Amino acid sequence: MDKLLNENVEKQIHEVFTGLKEPVHVIFFGSKENCEYCDDTRQLVKEVVALSDKLSLEVRDLQTDPSLAGQYNVDKTPTLVLAGKDSEKITDYGVRLLGIPSGHEFTSFIQDILLVSSRDSGLAPATREFLKTINKPVHLQVFVTPT
Amino acid sequence: MLAMENPLVQAEMVEAMEFPTLADRHQVSGVPHTVINDGAGNVVGAVPESNLVAAIRDALQK
Repeated sequence: MDKLLNENVEKQIHEVFTGLKEPVHVIFFGSKENCEYCDDTRQLVKEVVALSDKLSLEVRDLQTDPSLAGQYNVDKTPTLVLAGKDSEKITDYGVRLLGIPSGHEFTSFIQDILLVSSRDSGLAPATREFLKTINKPVHLQVFVTPT
Repeated sequence: MLAMENPLVQAEMVEAMEFPTLADRHQVSGVPHTVINDGAGNVVGAVPESNLVAAIRDALQK
């Protein structure tokens, strides 16, 4: 497959990634069946991850890695899990991207990487206080479109 | 980024065109559209952080 990111874009992302603090581990879940965007997504993420040594990529398959998919609550493809990595320890911050992060979402993808890398949600103190009080699962799905 | 503060919170950005069945089920017609706990709450549009917090609080009381 040809490269998806051109040199100019790579240069810009590389520049933005100088702001990365802690390592970020991306887990890609794909599927060989019924997944129109899996190949492009995997390729795109591979190119992005290659732009910083603070980033790593793990490629998994929903069908052949069901227990890992279950652990990360993944049942659709492509899904990207943006986790923290400290030494060899993977920390799941509950951040997921479903579908190919292209168009506007590409920017969100890069920003999400930076946020997970900062290990700081950047939220207001009142929001943080509220979130600490949550004692049952909360599942948020933010629907977006690339245009 | 609400998910980062509490391991019980999971946040997904879903590409609506790629998952039309899911988008239809939650009657997503404009974006961004945030679905809380499979429909216990819905937030349409880009809203301030405090509005989202209020919506999560309401959804959890259902």
